[in-house]
Formats: sequence, structure tokens, C-alpha cells
Amino acid sequence: MGIVQFLSDLLPETIPYWALVLLGAGIAFAIIIAFVSVVAIFSVWLERKVAGHIQSRLGPMYVGGWHGWAQSIADGIKLILKEDVILTDADRPLFKLAPCIVLGTALAAFVAVPFAPGVVPADINLGVFFIVAVSSLTTIGVLMAGWGSNNKWSLYGAMREAAQVASYEIPLGLSLMMPVMYFGSFSLSQASEMQAGWGGLHWYIFSDSFWIAIPSFVLFFTAALAETKRAPFDLPESESELVAGFHTEYSGIRFSFFFMEEYAAMYLMSAIGTALWFGGWNFPGLYLLEGTALFTPLAIAVFVVKSMFLVFVMMWVRWTVPRIRIDQVMALGYKYLTPIGLFLVLVASVWEYIKFSMMGV
Amino acid sequence: MQVTGSERIVELDVRTQDVDINMGPQHPATHGVLRVLLRADGEILTGAQSHLGYLHRCAEKIGENVDWVQYLPYTDRYDYLSAMNNNLGYSLAVEKLLGQDAPERAQYLRIILVELNRIASHLVAVGTYGLDVGAFTPFFYALREREMLLEIFERICGARLTYTFIRPGGVMNDAPEGWFDQVAAFTEVFDQKWPDYWNLLVENKIFIERTANVGVLSEEDAIAWGATGPMLRGSGVDWDIRRDQPYLLYGDLDFDVIVGKGYRGSVGDCFDRNYVRMFEMVQSNRIVRQCLDRIREGEVQNEEVGMSFACPPGRSYVGIENPRGELGHWLVSDGGKIAQRCRVRAPSFVNLAVVEHMLPGCMLADAAAIIGSVDIVIGETDR
Amino acid sequence: MNHFKQDSGWGSSASILEAAEKTLASLQSAGFSVELRVPNLPLLAPDGEAKRLKKKAKEENPEYEWRGDSYIVLKDSASLLDVCRHLRDELGWEQLIDCTAMDPSAESGELLGCYQFLSLSLKARLSIEISISKESPEVQSVTSIYLTADWHEREASEMFGITYSGHPDPRNILLPDDWEGFPLRKDYEFPEEYHGVSCK
Repeated sequence: MGIVQFLSDLLPETIPYWALVLLGAGIAFAIIIAFVSVVAIFSVWLERKVAGHIQSRLGPMYVGGWHGWAQSIADGIKLILKEDVILTDADRPLFKLAPCIVLGTALAAFVAVPFAPGVVPADINLGVFFIVAVSSLTTIGVLMAGWGSNNKWSLYGAMREAAQVASYEIPLGLSLMMPVMYFGSFSLSQASEMQAGWGGLHWYIFSDSFWIAIPSFVLFFTAALAETKRAPFDLPESESELVAGFHTEYSGIRFSFFFMEEYAAMYLMSAIGTALWFGGWNFPGLYLLEGTALFTPLAIAVFVVKSMFLVFVMMWVRWTVPRIRIDQVMALGYKYLTPIGLFLVLVASVWEYIKFSMMGV
Repeated sequence: MQVTGSERIVELDVRTQDVDINMGPQHPATHGVLRVLLRADGEILTGAQSHLGYLHRCAEKIGENVDWVQYLPYTDRYDYLSAMNNNLGYSLAVEKLLGQDAPERAQYLRIILVELNRIASHLVAVGTYGLDVGAFTPFFYALREREMLLEIFERICGARLTYTFIRPGGVMNDAPEGWFDQVAAFTEVFDQKWPDYWNLLVENKIFIERTANVGVLSEEDAIAWGATGPMLRGSGVDWDIRRDQPYLLYGDLDFDVIVGKGYRGSVGDCFDRNYVRMFEMVQSNRIVRQCLDRIREGEVQNEEVGMSFACPPGRSYVGIENPRGELGHWLVSDGGKIAQRCRVRAPSFVNLAVVEHMLPGCMLADAAAIIGSVDIVIGETDR
Repeated sequence: MNHFKQDSGWGSSASILEAAEKTLASLQSAGFSVELRVPNLPLLAPDGEAKRLKKKAKEENPEYEWRGDSYIVLKDSASLLDVCRHLRDELGWEQLIDCTAMDPSAESGELLGCYQFLSLSLKARLSIEISISKESPEVQSVTSIYLTADWHEREASEMFGITYSGHPDPRNILLPDDWEGFPLRKDYEFPEEYHGVSCK
């Protein structure tokens, strides 16, 4: 059930369909951007706290009182109020457009994320495909930023991003094939629904295919780190080599767009991981509440907490390991992850076929 | 996008050009205002040239214009991470001209301070090297222990970075009450914490991948380029001034000279230089412990040497083992209160010279790893 | 307790003297015109000397009493390259630790070039001095023998105005390319301004 359906039930029939679609899109956009902003703000704060505690510091402690909870809000306000510097030699249209494209694609991908039964902005039955396709469009924005900045370091960052994302699309796509074969569907919400058994613990990672699910998740997580430019794959913005990579020349609100995109992408990848491997909104005992008003908020909460946990793991990795060199990134992608992915696809297809033909599952 | 450099025709009449990139003077990986002009073919470097002088503060000229003791604060500022060592090098050179010596207690105090300073300096070196290869956390762990050291220094001389504590004829003052216990406590803590850096950073698979076989400096090259300190030992040369030409009371102390063995790659790579620093910290800790056992009550300043004096004419060259290599002071006196020539042979300056010959052929990311492994302090290269 | 006498290494002038004497003999037998200068004051001053030195006037003849390291003076600076080759190849002075110069005074007509050598195998140090006339300050570059001389010579060149003939890359290293004058010469006058920035 999408937003448009919901609106047509709610509103009188005299309203034309295109208006409903526009209205629905507007509402979905507002909800997503609000949600992504909150997630980004929270993630930035969480990242700083996680980094702080890993590094035997405390992280932000003052702004807002309790453990500096308002730190990233204050930072956000600062970024919005800061002067927006555009270099004279920059390619202005590209320079201005790049942050919008980067953030826009990240937001667009959220359309297919199922937060709870029925709570999905657009229930696309090719959801997995859609998310992977749209989220990799970010590269175009990054390339535009790198070129438009007219800075060699930015260009290097952009080229690295292009090379890296293009390479890691393959293992990422392959790793997603295993759950897709298991569920027999590209739809994320359908996948989540199918993991509702065993009182809510029949997740893909605990299913009879767990021995495929676990390596495929490791593959997915590695590729997702590379896709989201997180350490140890943060080469496009590696600060000790490229200063800040493609966003070296950005400041103020435009910089914050890149910043938000990073956390939005992290959350998005974690959400895919949650929906496909970790049972989506399912949680033991949650089915008891089904039908009550509490169910949907709790299901959303379960989903968000699960994905935030994966985001936390990404942060944990980032503050623990050094950065890989570009040739090692490429070697890892092409020499190891892609063959492993192909092999897993083969094994999984044979296994799912055997299950289907022998047991009829 | 301005592209310069040599033009090449690759295939199908496609013309490519190398890109000239300025790494620095403001760059996170150059440890200060060093500027390295890189020429790169994509990610692979084809040329490099260092440009120095952004932090030139005329130390040698100042040395010819101020009193012997007045120059001491300037020594703090060449290698600001190991100011005690700089003080010591200069003081020894002046003492050699004066023909004076420091009392035994002062000598042990000097060794303790110098070795603690070596630990502090190597902690920063290893920590920032982590930053250079992209690991943030070890840096904070290193600074945590360095903070204890800075408190120790602050307690004895009131300064945390530029001490001016070791001076011709001894040290400025005796250690305050309880100071030796604080040092002893640090040596215990450090032994417990050291495995953290080793496990978290040096034995990390990615760290090894990034540093092993990268920036290999052969033994012959290291000697020919005049490399000293961890850079020379990392290349497999068994040479440490503290052992081979001992100054102070190092001849009586028991410690090992750490030499790179190609533990994870080939001898003389970035890993080995880092490996030498890691284990030198342990040895320094050992030396501090021995000194704590041996130190006796006594004078800390030679009464013969005051604050203002004239040196007899002569030349003295004193090279000491600084954390970054041999710090040499060549002082020439014409019998006056002011040096005729005050030459500083800075280890970073010499060690850096070879970098521009190590970079071509490496990848852009290796540039950060190689420059970091040399462990330069720009205050010292430019003086 | 005496750290100069007690050790076995460079710190004692005795070992520097020993190394210098051996090197001197070898250089002389190879036909180079060299001379050894040895300090005549004791390495450790007797008690009370520092106080005496405070009173000691500068006009006391510095030629006769001095302390510190002994050094070899190379009388014919044109033979520098050959001497360095001899030192490295025949005598085992593997490292040129430092290469610099000094200006004794504004009145002096010559600069002194100083080379510090270190031998890792002999565990010894050696100091060689040459004199360079201020009229035509040109010396042979030893970069072809000791690679490390590269940057040292560039620095000495910009600071003292010495031309090192045969240097592969004689640019300024610490000073800007357009800096005028040679700062470490005693007759150097500090500029009033540099590119519009007042220096005084």
C-alpha cells in the first residue's frame, strides 16, 4: 500500500489522480528529508561519541547538556549560517549542482525502504534493484563536484570515487542476489514480511540458508563500506592524502549536503542489510502486538534500531583500521570479492533449486 | 584544469600528460609547512621535488648574535617534539668548548629526561604515522601516554614543549619531591600500554599492507644519503651514537640497538622504520629504569659554569642521538661570549633529502606513508 | 665523573685526534697537502678556569690557546674532490655528516668550508677544513661522492654565497629564490624590506 493509495482513500474522489500523486510525492519527500536529517544529525553525534569512546576520549559533552546531544544540531546551524564560498575558477553550474545531486540521489533511494508493514513510501517490487541503481548515481554528483572544484586533489578524489564505486557495484549486486534468490523477490518489504516466522526470528541470517547468508552478508557489508566511502575504503576523501578529496573546496550548506549524504548512504546500506538479512522490522514477540496501534511505531523503531546498529558497526570499523591503498582496493574488489560473489551466487542458486525441487519449499 | 608535465602518446594517438600537484605547504600529511611538488601519472608518481624554507627562523644567524646560554631557548624550537635532546646536544657542544662537565646526578637526570623525551617524540611519530595511513585511534592512544610525559616535564621544568632545562654545566634545577616516583609510575604504565599500539596499529593487516615493501631505502643508499637515527637503523645499519660513541653515561647503561630486519617486508621499508621506533621506546623505557636505580643525591649544576661566560677559542662538533637522527652542533668560538659560528646539523633536514628520490614510482597514497615514515619535524628541517 | 674522558668514542678528543692522525698520514702519503690542527688546552678545564675565562678578554691571542676538536686543514682546496674520494674509498669514512662553511669575520678575506665525516665501521669522526676566498668563492661539489652533500651545499651556497661547481641542482633551499645577500656572512646587512614587508 503506497502513499497515493492511502491518500485516495482519505480524500474525496473528485481530486484528480495526478494531484494525488503530486501530493503523495510531496508528503513522501518531506517525511524522507525530515527522517534523513534526523538520522544524519543523530549519526554525526553518534559517530563522534563512538569515535571518542574508542579513542579513550568522551566526545562532545557540553552543547545541550546531556552528553552533548545538541552538538550536531549546533554544527548544522553553524554550517547553514556559514559563508558559502565558490571559487572564482570553479565551474559554477557543476559546483552548485553537485551537492544537490549527491543528496538527491541518496534521498531518492529511501523511497523503497520498508520501515514497517505498509510504511514504505513507494512499494516498488524491484526495490533492491532500484536502491542499488539510484544510490550509485551519487558518483555522478561526486564527479561533478571533483571536476567543478577545479582542484587537483578534488579531481583525484572524484576519480577514485568513480573507480571505486564502479568496481564495488559488482560485488554489492552479487551479494544481494543471495537473499533475492532465497526470498524469490526483489521487493524489500516482501522480503521483510517473509522473515516473520518463528515468532519473528526467522531472519535470513538464521534460516536454513544461513551458511550462504553469513558470507553473503560479509560480502555485502564490505561492498557497502566501499560504496559509502567509509574507512577502510574512504579513499575519495582520504584526508591524509587528498586533504578532503572531492569536497575540499566546499563550505557551508553545500558541504553539509555531502556530509548528510554520507550518513544517509550509510543508513541506507544498513537498512538494506537489515531488511534482507536481519529480518527487517521483525523482532521476537512483536507479532503479539499486531493489530494494535502500538505495532507500527514499534516495528519502525525495531527497524531503525537494527539499522542504526549496523551504522554503529560501520563507525566501529572506521575508527579501528587504517586506510587501504587504491590498488589494494581494486585488487580486493576484482580479485577477491567479485569471484567470491560469483561463487556464492552459484552455490546459492544450486541450493535454492535443490530446496525447491526436492522439498518444495 | 591546468595540466603540465611531459607529454606522452599512449595508444591510438591518445595524448596523456602528467599532472603536477602541490602537496603542501598546507597539507595534512606533510607534518607542517613542507611543500612537495609531485608529478603524477594518475595515481603513480613520476617525480617529486621538496621545497623547504617556509619555517626558516634563522637559528644559525641568531646563534651568532646571542650569548652562549641565551641561545639555549632557540634550540628548543628546531625539533619541538624533542626539545630536551636539542638542549642536550647544544649543552654538550658548549661544555666541550668550556672544558667543563656536568655532575653525575645532572647526567642521570639528563639521560632520564632525554629518554622520556625520546619516548614522547616516538609516540607522536608512531601516532601520526597511523594518521598518515588512515588509522586515527592509535594517535589518541599515543597522545594519552604522551600527556603523562608532558606532565612529568611540566612538573620538573614548568614547560610542556620547549623546556630549556638542560643547559651547559648541568640542568636548571633538581627534581621536585616525588618526581622520580612519577617517572617510575610512567615506566610501569608504558610497559602495559605499549602492546596496545603494537596490536592495534603495527600488527594490523592493513597497516602491514600499506607499509611493508613501500619506500624501501637500501643500506647503501641510507649511508650515502647521510641518513641517521631510525631511518638508518631501519635500513639495517647497526649504528647508534649512544652505544658506539657514548656521551653522558650511556656507556654504563644496558640497552639494545634496534635494527630493521625486514620483519614484514624487505629491509629498509616504511614498516621497518616504524618498527625501529616502536622498539626504541621500549629500550628508552629500560634506560630510564636503570637510571632511576642508579641516580644518587648530589649537585645538578656545575658551579664553574654560570649563566654568562666566554668560551675559549676552538671548534667543537657534538653529534647526539636525537629521536630523529644525529643532531650535530658545530660551534666555533673565538674566545668571546658569543659564538662565531653556530651550525646545526638537523637530522630531519638530511633524512628528508632522500625522500624526493624515494617517491617516483610509488603511488600517491604512498607519498603520505613515506614522508610520514621519515618522521620529519619542519621546525628542524628549516631551522 | 667525566663523560669526555671515560668514553671510548668521539667525545674524547683523544679518539678524534687518533683518527685524524691516521687519516693525515694516509692523506700525506697519497700526496695531498694537509695539516693537522690540535687543541692545546686540556680537554677538561682545571677548577676555577671558567671564572677566569669570564674575565678573559677577547684580545688574548686566539691563535695559541684553544680547546675542542682537532681538525685537518686542506691547504689546496682544488684537491677536495680527490681527498673525499680517498677518504671514502680508501679510509672508510662512509658518511659525510655535515658540510657547511663559516665566515670568521667581516674583515677576513676568506671563508672556511667545513666537512664533518663519520665512519660507521671505525666508529670515529673527522673534521676537515678548507679555505675559500671571498673574491671568488668557488669550491668543488662533493655531491658525486657523498650524495648527502646535495642539500648541505645548497644551504651553504645560499647562506655564504659559495659556488659549488658541479652541483646538480644549485637552487636556494631555505631562502626564497630572489633573496639578496648572503645572511651568514658577517658583513651581511639585514634588508629594510622584502616585497613590501618591513623587516625592521
